[in-house]
Amino acid sequence: MGMTTGGVPFSLTRLLIVAGNTFTEAVRQKLFNFLLLLAVALVASAQFFREFNFGSSELKFISDFGLGAMVFFGSTLTIAATAQLFFSEIENRTALTILAKPIWRTEFIFGKFLGVFAVLGVFCALTTLLLAGLLCSRENSLMALHPDAFPGGRIIHYGDLMAMGMLQWLKFGVLAAITLLIASFSNTNLYTVVMSFFMLVICHLQYLAHDTYAQVASLPLRLLVRLLGYVFPNFQVFNLADQVATGVGLDAGVVLRVAGYALAYIAVIGGLAVYSFRNREI
Amino acid sequence: MKFKLLELRPLRVGTVVVATLLVAGWAMRPLENPAWQAVRSGQPAMKLDSLQGALGQGVTVGLLGGFRAIVADFFWIKTNSVWSDNDLPATQTLIKLVTAIDPRPLYFWQNGARMIAYDMPNWRIVGAGGYDVVSKAAQQQIEREQSAVALSNLNEAFGYHPDSVLIYVEMANVYLNRLKDVASAAEIYHKAALQPDAPYYVARIYGELLRRQGRNAEAYAWLKQLYPTLPKEAKDSASGRQPTAKPQPSAAEIEMAMAPVVLERIREIEKELKISKNQRFMP
Repeated sequence: MGMTTGGVPFSLTRLLIVAGNTFTEAVRQKLFNFLLLLAVALVASAQFFREFNFGSSELKFISDFGLGAMVFFGSTLTIAATAQLFFSEIENRTALTILAKPIWRTEFIFGKFLGVFAVLGVFCALTTLLLAGLLCSRENSLMALHPDAFPGGRIIHYGDLMAMGMLQWLKFGVLAAITLLIASFSNTNLYTVVMSFFMLVICHLQYLAHDTYAQVASLPLRLLVRLLGYVFPNFQVFNLADQVATGVGLDAGVVLRVAGYALAYIAVIGGLAVYSFRNREI
Repeated sequence: MKFKLLELRPLRVGTVVVATLLVAGWAMRPLENPAWQAVRSGQPAMKLDSLQGALGQGVTVGLLGGFRAIVADFFWIKTNSVWSDNDLPATQTLIKLVTAIDPRPLYFWQNGARMIAYDMPNWRIVGAGGYDVVSKAAQQQIEREQSAVALSNLNEAFGYHPDSVLIYVEMANVYLNRLKDVASAAEIYHKAALQPDAPYYVARIYGELLRRQGRNAEAYAWLKQLYPTLPKEAKDSASGRQPTAKPQPSAAEIEMAMAPVVLERIREIEKELKISKNQRFMP
């Protein structure tokens, strides 16, 4: 499969058709509905769990709980849905039919990605709006009960909350691209899911290795860890949730940088998934 | 030869993937670093050395990211559960774990220190046979050991809450109530009283601790300079003077400041120091 497929130029329309089909297939999946329901239920129940809060303020607890649910179920959905939607095409042999037609593997991979990304967008939008509604309702009640505690007006910056929802969506995009990269050379769905979860953990914890090995005396070991740090994206940069319900606003510059970081990684890892998939015998 | 090249294809693809990611990671440093610094400055770092004893939880906590505060809350419930069973090692480990997971809430530091300094000596003495069996010297030794652990934890808290008045007060109380070390307690209460957000009682207690040490002259000087700063009932309406533009303190604030009590103590010290009437403090 070369840069042209039977002389057919690259087509955005074909890519969007693949994306549309992937989206429809994903929404029909029980897994998507189940995880969405679970996440929505957990976010909605945040206010009932607030009795368990000891350390932080009530609004911060609800915000942490809601965003935590979004991160947890969103990551699970990203990995499971991406792997499932990719391998359903391979296992049902529909990939052979599709790729026998004049369609680029780039269109196939990025179509799959866009379909999953759209599903994740729906997931993030729903959970973020629900969380914002919950926080707004509770903040209104608290402001009526304890006006002295809100001398500067509202504590929650709802624009920041939306920005957080968007950043999580972009992070799931990077994770979906990683899952597609693994799927592009993997033979089984299970291997892809397990490896993607490992990658998720590594990308979340790579900064700890960085910090720990920065003090190691051995120069080769320090260099090795530094190089490994370059290979894996740092998912902790998306963790701006701590500042959402503290009354301290998010820095727009930081949000833009993180968004740029995610988009650049999506492009690079997506490109690598295409490269790897083009070298694969189906 | 062709067969061998095909065999090498996965290796070639893998090398290209890793090399590209390496270059991309290096090229994206200018985007990542400022964002990462901003994220780091907004939240205290996870203390890896404290979490090593609980590797499973450490991984989970890192993975869940946003659940950090909630995970700390649930571990705090667990801490209370083992605390009610008088399980010293588990309680002490869990206090360390909770404050490592989420060091931001003062609540965990304060209550953890109270468990260690006030409850644990009792558990250890009862465990060693009870207050009648364990000698006074041994009891004091146990109290000193537990206080040292609590004070060390509270010192660590300053890393996250620099010059926190409540942490100073907690430390001073351990010196005062557990170690009966009035001088050290007074010194720490003094530091707390100098903080801009110190509650009124802190300065009053410092004055009292000076008196308890017999340092009446110092206590007198301290209370004399404290009294004018305290909010008091407004006398403007009674004297017929125009009300000042300065915002009037609330009734609750006046009550907490307890200016009449401070004045009463000043008078007591004047008597003790035998200060003549014409040299007495005139508010």
